Amino acid sequence: MTWLIWRQYRAQAAIASVLLAALAAAIVVDGLQIASRWHSVLVSCAGNGGCLEQAPTLVNGVMSDLPYFTLIVPVVLGMLWGAPLVASELEARTSDFAWTQSVTRTRWLAVKAGWLLLAAVAWGGAVSALFTWWSGPINADSATAFTPGQFDTQGIVPIGYAVFAMSLGIAVGTVARRTLPAIAVVLGGFIGLRLVIANLLRPHYMAAVTTYFKVTSTFTPPGQAWVLSQGGVSRTGQVVGRGWGDLEPALPAACQRLLPGGPAAKSGGSMTSVFSCMQAHGWRGFVTYQPAGRYWPFQGIETGIYVLLAAALIAVTFVVVRRRDA
Amino acid sequence: MSAAIETHELSKRYRRASALTECTVSVPEGRVCALIGPNGAGKTTLLRILAGLVRPSAGTASVLDGAPRQDPAFLADIGFLAQEIPLYRNFTADDHLRVGGHLNPRWDAALARTRLAELRIPLDRRVGKLSGGQRAQVALALTLAKRPRLLLLDEPFAALDPLARRDFLAALTSAVTDAAGRLTIVLSSHLVSDLERVCDHLILLSGSRVQLAGDIDTLLAEHRVALKVENVALEELVLSYMGAEPADNRLTTIGEES
Repeated sequence: MTWLIWRQYRAQAAIASVLLAALAAAIVVDGLQIASRWHSVLVSCAGNGGCLEQAPTLVNGVMSDLPYFTLIVPVVLGMLWGAPLVASELEARTSDFAWTQSVTRTRWLAVKAGWLLLAAVAWGGAVSALFTWWSGPINADSATAFTPGQFDTQGIVPIGYAVFAMSLGIAVGTVARRTLPAIAVVLGGFIGLRLVIANLLRPHYMAAVTTYFKVTSTFTPPGQAWVLSQGGVSRTGQVVGRGWGDLEPALPAACQRLLPGGPAAKSGGSMTSVFSCMQAHGWRGFVTYQPAGRYWPFQGIETGIYVLLAAALIAVTFVVVRRRDA
Repeated sequence: MSAAIETHELSKRYRRASALTECTVSVPEGRVCALIGPNGAGKTTLLRILAGLVRPSAGTASVLDGAPRQDPAFLADIGFLAQEIPLYRNFTADDHLRVGGHLNPRWDAALARTRLAELRIPLDRRVGKLSGGQRAQVALALTLAKRPRLLLLDEPFAALDPLARRDFLAALTSAVTDAAGRLTIVLSSHLVSDLERVCDHLILLSGSRVQLAGDIDTLLAEHRVALKVENVALEELVLSYMGAEPADNRLTTIGEES
């Protein structure tokens, strides 16, 4: 069986390997430059905390978008390899040949799907390892590993996405029996589900922590936390966002007068008097966030969701292939 | 002699139509059985059920003493060649031979290679670039190399020219002789004349139902008695059971069967 898979996919495997190698080379070359830039920033800023804030951005140009580009690769693999796995055999009727050799459909599918899923894991793992390494200085510099976008390209979640996309392709292709409609469903389904889970589910894997603080001071969650929302809350519980556009109309009239350009504005445009006024009127600042220590639990939960969905899709595929009339 | 194939009221319904209705037939082991019928009569459906590719809606089929099933031993006993000649178009014949060797326990590589060499079919060319007849010969060689106990061939002559047909029938005959009564063959065709020389058993399907089935000599003898004539050709016998359509239409317009 394995020889058949190898013969069927060797050309695509070669192309994918070349692309992965090229991507790896680009990431390694760029990553080394980022690391050396970061190193020189650290040396020149030794003992000077404010200096880091002034440091030039570590990533430049096209490379800063590269991690986001790889977000679509799993779905491309799912469309080009997963969807045709069963569908193209049914379309070309080669299933008649494959399913009348002395190998059960179960074993045929297990070997075929197994190798493709392995390829998905290898791809997801390789890309994730590269980007996790590449992102090291950026994470240290801007503490953003937990924020959406960065979270999706590092750690173990890329493996979950890759396995899920491949399984989705295999299952949809099997049920639809035709490659092209399956490809469309896989594209829409994968992107839709990723958006829904990342935007609606992920913030709630664990109950977020909210910290209140005096508006005259500031508070930043320690480490690489994921800030979900922040702003001010009034004595009566009215919540407003961080931007002045939101805040200004909500302020008590007495404080509005102190705003820069207002009738009671202090010279120099200082906001201190506004914050003191808000403090006096019972306003507090708040930050709602997922603490940095939850990074790996969140990675585990998200990967688990995708792997479970993938397992369900593969199970459906086995049932359909075993029962289907060919 | 035990039956290689035994079906009882076998039916297959698709959403819109019946492909096979209450088909009850028996083919003894070692026979070469002609499956004759017009377009859409259910020949392909019957063969695919016997090969385990299609599940019947009702009734039972017993093939080599068991229902067609997902089991390596059963699959090893069945040689099936679909009408569409399903091969991987970008594989060479040699690739197919290697796949067959990996997937089948009784694989007879020498048989297939000798056959393809005799036919001068290039082993290193993608089968998508071979002619239709050559492709059919590759598929037949693969099916024979599996060394099955039951050979199910759906319209095997459709892609072959007359010379290739004669050659293929000779190959079938020698395979039957070599197997010494252990090989059973069912081959479908709309041309009675193709099969007359090699077949000793007949199943006639029309309108998804069995019209006539049994040993050809017995059927002919019965028919002779019924008609009180000295000699009856198999073709006449078949035509008399196919319905009211003019014979010319029936036997010349049949092309692909779905």
